[in-house]
Amino acid sequence: MAPLTVPVHATRVLVSLMLMSGLAWSAPAAVIPATPTREYQVKAVFLFNFTQFVEWPADAFAQADGPLVIGVLGEDPFGSYLDETVRGEKSNGRRLVVERYHRLEEIGNCQVLFVSRSEADRLEQIFAHLNGKRILTVGDIDRFAGRGGVIRFATTAGKLHLRINLDAARSAGLTISSKLLRPAEIVSSGQE
Amino acid sequence: MCIGTPFCYVLCALADFRHSRSAGNRITAVAAMLLGSTLLANTTALLAQELPASPAALKKLSVEELMNIEVTSVSRRPEKVSEAASAIQVITAEDIRRSGATSLPAALRLASNLEVAQIDARQWAISARGFNSTTANKLLVLIDGRTVYTPLYAGVFWDVQDTLLEDIDRIEVISGPGATLWGSNAVNGVINIITKRSPETQGVLLAAGGGNDLQDFAGMRYGGALGGTARYRVYAKRVDRDSSVLPDGADVSSAWHVTQGGFRADGERSANETFTVQGDVYEGRAEQPTADDIELSGGNVLGRWTRVLGENSDLDVQIYFDRTHRRIPTSYAENLNAYDIDLQHRFGLGDRHDIVWGIDYRQIEDDIENFRAFAFLPPEVSRRWYSAFVQDEVALIKDRLHLSLGTKVEHNEYTGIELQPSARLAWRMNARDLLWAAVSRAVRTPSRIDREFYAPAAPPFVLLEGGTDFRSEKLIAYELGYRAQPADALAIAVSTFYNDYDDLRSIEHVAPPAAFPIFIGNGLRGESYGAEWTADWHVTPFWRLRGGYTELRVHFDHKPGSTDTNAGTNEAHDPKHLLSLRSSLDVGDWQLDAALRHVSRIDNQSVPGYAELDLRLAWQPLQALEISIIGQNLLHDHHPEFGTDTANLSSTRKAIERGLYGKLLWRH
Repeated sequence: MAPLTVPVHATRVLVSLMLMSGLAWSAPAAVIPATPTREYQVKAVFLFNFTQFVEWPADAFAQADGPLVIGVLGEDPFGSYLDETVRGEKSNGRRLVVERYHRLEEIGNCQVLFVSRSEADRLEQIFAHLNGKRILTVGDIDRFAGRGGVIRFATTAGKLHLRINLDAARSAGLTISSKLLRPAEIVSSGQE
Repeated sequence: MCIGTPFCYVLCALADFRHSRSAGNRITAVAAMLLGSTLLANTTALLAQELPASPAALKKLSVEELMNIEVTSVSRRPEKVSEAASAIQVITAEDIRRSGATSLPAALRLASNLEVAQIDARQWAISARGFNSTTANKLLVLIDGRTVYTPLYAGVFWDVQDTLLEDIDRIEVISGPGATLWGSNAVNGVINIITKRSPETQGVLLAAGGGNDLQDFAGMRYGGALGGTARYRVYAKRVDRDSSVLPDGADVSSAWHVTQGGFRADGERSANETFTVQGDVYEGRAEQPTADDIELSGGNVLGRWTRVLGENSDLDVQIYFDRTHRRIPTSYAENLNAYDIDLQHRFGLGDRHDIVWGIDYRQIEDDIENFRAFAFLPPEVSRRWYSAFVQDEVALIKDRLHLSLGTKVEHNEYTGIELQPSARLAWRMNARDLLWAAVSRAVRTPSRIDREFYAPAAPPFVLLEGGTDFRSEKLIAYELGYRAQPADALAIAVSTFYNDYDDLRSIEHVAPPAAFPIFIGNGLRGESYGAEWTADWHVTPFWRLRGGYTELRVHFDHKPGSTDTNAGTNEAHDPKHLLSLRSSLDVGDWQLDAALRHVSRIDNQSVPGYAELDLRLAWQPLQALEISIIGQNLLHDHHPEFGTDTANLSSTRKAIERGLYGKLLWRH
């Protein structure tokens, strides 16, 4: 019978394997903000797409040639990814700009407002504050569209779907392209 | 006289021994036949993880395509795949299409962390991190959540695992233990095959083609609306394959065909409640050299219901029934019914904890018809498994350092309660580098062949006395991995492991030095170690290169008191090196794909190392139409990939021929 060899201590084996792999263990040069999850990468690109598929009335902008502002209210889940996504892009000739707000009063002249999950508890208050403004509200909070938001990101079976509240869009004076409406699910207030 | 069924090799070998009192080393061969080699049976993708998508890449996608991106992942919670602390590779639908693969096992070659060896036209040996054999038993394979391993030998009959390949959304391949979340048998790896949801497979799809080795195949699918948000699809396919050849090039009867059909329906009862119902049926026949054809048939039906309970919480209930029938004349026939119900619940606890727990009940009714050479006794059994798991992912430092702690507790009728805990740590050093480490325990619980396998079929069992005391095989696995994106267009990953096995299966002698009878025991220990490297380079937007390299060593030792003389040679037939390189090039409406693989020698089967090349040229003249020609294994007229080639025993080694075929794909 073959004598039993005692396995080498596991950590030593792993270390030698890693050395064998030849990886250089350079320390990260600088701590840069974490990239968002795949989910929020896709949501960031959706926000950009919305600026291409939605028409705002002229009075939505403070200046005739001013930028189109995408606001993020609450904890920012996108990091710098959203800024990278819209960098150099335009909507109807307008530059795209990202702004971040923490309090309702900070919300300035923005055209798209992403309401972060951190704001779930005061959604009604937010919608009341925005009432009548020409803002495309977007969120992924439960029943966001049914509660008065325009577009909700819903996740089903691991994939994102859009739920659009047309009444909310209409009362904000927004026209949404069929390219966005076709793959989306239409819901109405109170029914999501 | 050997009549060619896998089991008949056993018969021949056993018969041989009745006449000659051979030495112990020949027992090795017999035992190998019994347990390892001949019993019954038979990546564009990722290289790994998907590249973190750049905004520029995602912006090119249409709204529909964006909706098609998977935003949840392996550890059953939403996160980036590249954050998962395991050696995962994902094969995408695009990868499968561009590989020209025409069967599930062939598509698995796309994952460089798998050992995939084709035995003959019908049979494959597939494993991860070693221990490969035709009855490889340390891999858990799921198709849409349905476990497909057989309780007969805890492995997979690859010849009946199929679906319309165009309907596959992705295949997640995890090398390393996944037992905590997935359960027993996920010792060395998990293969999770996930098909598309019905809304993504609407309209007509036709796929047809033919060639020399794969003689002809045809598949169709139709997807439509059921009313409301519910969608369905139905599909049917048929595949005919030509016989394989012996190593000398002579034909050996192994042609076979399978016809399969199925359906899937997906719907939503409300915004937060989705359901899926799906099923498949199949029937087929396979030639054997000198006995009647093998009959194969089966079917399954599965229902799943998912409810979002809140912002960070969901509930998932799944139930299925699976029936398989296999009749191998002169060997055995089996009717197996499996029932399974599974519940999972995930919820966030405070700011830092993400908890997932679940319970599962599984029951099988297995009815074997034994012939003369050997027997599963008792022929008819009913067995139950109960299990529960819980895992908590703790954000030690939010988005930077996450620790997952969990365990599975399972009760089986052979060994009682088994614990399978694991700890996984993921450290995101910065946006581009992730380091992970894991320690896990996993067990391979007994299957019928370990405990209930006798030869000859009726007492006295002068050859094989079963394995009445066979215990679970145990593994403690240590893993360390690193993933990085050194440049926007380049992703690399390395996973290393050290596996420490105990109570591995052995062939014990009842009265040594007498060769027979033997019984199945747990007389071996083992260790294995190795590393898996992958690289994925988008050289230009039109040209992508991927590479994978796996290095592996497996060693066995006897435990005190063991009378085994095989030292694991029947348990593991593994090459030491596996190398794959793939190139995907787009030029206008044309696609050119090349896949080169090198597999080193399998020492204990003396299978020579080989290199092979697959090429695919496709033209898409219309949005709906794709025409392609595919060449498989182009470098040699024929080459063996697996199996012993012993002169005095029936050879189990076949050779795989060069294959050429054309294919039409219509989607509308």
